[in-house]
Amino acid sequence: MTTLRILRAGPLTTLQDAGRPGHLRHGISAAGPMDRAAFRRTGAWLGGAGATAIEFTTAGLGLRVEGGAVGCALDGGQFTLRRNGETLAWPARLHLEDGDVVDIAPGPAGNYGYLRLGREIDVPLVLGSRATSLVSRLGGLEGRELRAGDVLHLGDAVAPLPALHPRATPAGAGPVRVLWGLHADLFEAGVRRRFIEETFLVSPRIDRMGARLEDQAGVFAGAQILSLVSDAVVPGDIQILGDGTPIVLMRDHQPTGGYPRIATVIDADLDRMAQLRPGAHVRFAPVTLAEAHAALRGGAAP
Amino acid sequence: MAETPAPVPLPNPLIVPLGDHGLLVRFAATLSDEANRAAITFARRLGERMPEGVTEIDPNLVSVLLKYDPAAIGFERLAGEVRLLLGRAGGAVGGKPKRHRIAARFGGAEGPDLADVARQLGMRPADFIAAHNARPLRVLTTGFAPGFVYCGFHALSVPRRTTVRPVVPPGTILFAAGQTAITATPLPTGWSVIGRTEFCNFDPAIDPPTVLREGDEIVFKAVK
Repeated sequence: MTTLRILRAGPLTTLQDAGRPGHLRHGISAAGPMDRAAFRRTGAWLGGAGATAIEFTTAGLGLRVEGGAVGCALDGGQFTLRRNGETLAWPARLHLEDGDVVDIAPGPAGNYGYLRLGREIDVPLVLGSRATSLVSRLGGLEGRELRAGDVLHLGDAVAPLPALHPRATPAGAGPVRVLWGLHADLFEAGVRRRFIEETFLVSPRIDRMGARLEDQAGVFAGAQILSLVSDAVVPGDIQILGDGTPIVLMRDHQPTGGYPRIATVIDADLDRMAQLRPGAHVRFAPVTLAEAHAALRGGAAP
Repeated sequence: MAETPAPVPLPNPLIVPLGDHGLLVRFAATLSDEANRAAITFARRLGERMPEGVTEIDPNLVSVLLKYDPAAIGFERLAGEVRLLLGRAGGAVGGKPKRHRIAARFGGAEGPDLADVARQLGMRPADFIAAHNARPLRVLTTGFAPGFVYCGFHALSVPRRTTVRPVVPPGTILFAAGQTAITATPLPTGWSVIGRTEFCNFDPAIDPPTVLREGDEIVFKAVK
């Protein structure tokens, strides 16, 4: 049986498939890849890929193939990739032989990358998905992060499909586009104006639940909104904590929340938001719902 | 279905986008019995005739979130269908709600805040437990975490605690803001911890993974 032995795994290394939508009413958010476009590219490039990928972070990943050979594709962000010590180009499509060691270290950009295989990763389906939800401790390998010593069993080879060679669309350096949020009207006009005029910093506190921002301009300093009724949350919602800290909620968001939400990052820009590293500057630009939907159809960043 | 054919009048809701895949039907900006009943009724009505392009219905305390596929239906068209459904019949709670009896241990090591809650209300702990369990509570919604239910409403109310417990186990019974909540997974909480039950409203090996539905009734029974 072909297996992958995890030699090294940074925090937040998880198994992810396309996600587990449809269970919000049971208190479960969908999880799934932080950079869905990159995840999809690995599948398309491989042609006949397992539904589940290893999502890794800038903390890196090391693994060894044991007991057989397997094809794989890697994409997302820009990482430094080595096979048996030899540095390879990023992104990559590789044929891994029994005993090959893959090592991934951070490169110049991005927080999340994907390793997708020509076989399914043999972990149980939970509510129809293998995606790990760290917040719900569901799916993936025992509902947790991967760590050194884990052994992932691989299923049979997936029937090959025509392999495409998708290129990542340029990430775009413009503002992250948002729709005004459920509670935007509760913020004073001046706060809303400054929210789109000022620049925020991505803080070091980023994970699959959300990205905390640093509000160096003090846009939300003193913005006091108390006791909101808890209501539905969607990925991309920008909530403001009681101390004024903005958080962009991501794939492992809590399904409901009681903090005020000023805006929601549009779906077309959420992958880009996920890949912004701590220290990156971010600005927000409001768009209309029609523009958000047009961006989905176009698939391109601004 | 044992429903009355006449439309159930629902409070006029706010219909707004929540992101670019969500439409939120919100019956009030604050929690009230009427708004919660409206959310439950409307979610059931949607379940009976799900509009095309809708991928998920998520009832909340005072709202219903419809997730939709923008390639299949636009927001304005969906909002129009929602307005039509708001004026129609269906979803009314016909007959008796489903009742769940939940045995729980109150106080002691498993309910460390019981005495403090009773003190805030000027009651003896035993009297608080009796009042807490005196009548059925409605499951207001499931949210926040897997299988986590909000139940209400009590005439008794205490505010949330000023400190957060980093983790409480599944089956913890929480009390705050005129509501009782039951955890189904390990969680941090700022609510008062008043007891514990063996009942767990979450099993990911079963689909659907929860037992309690919004609109069901809960009757707590104190056991040793």
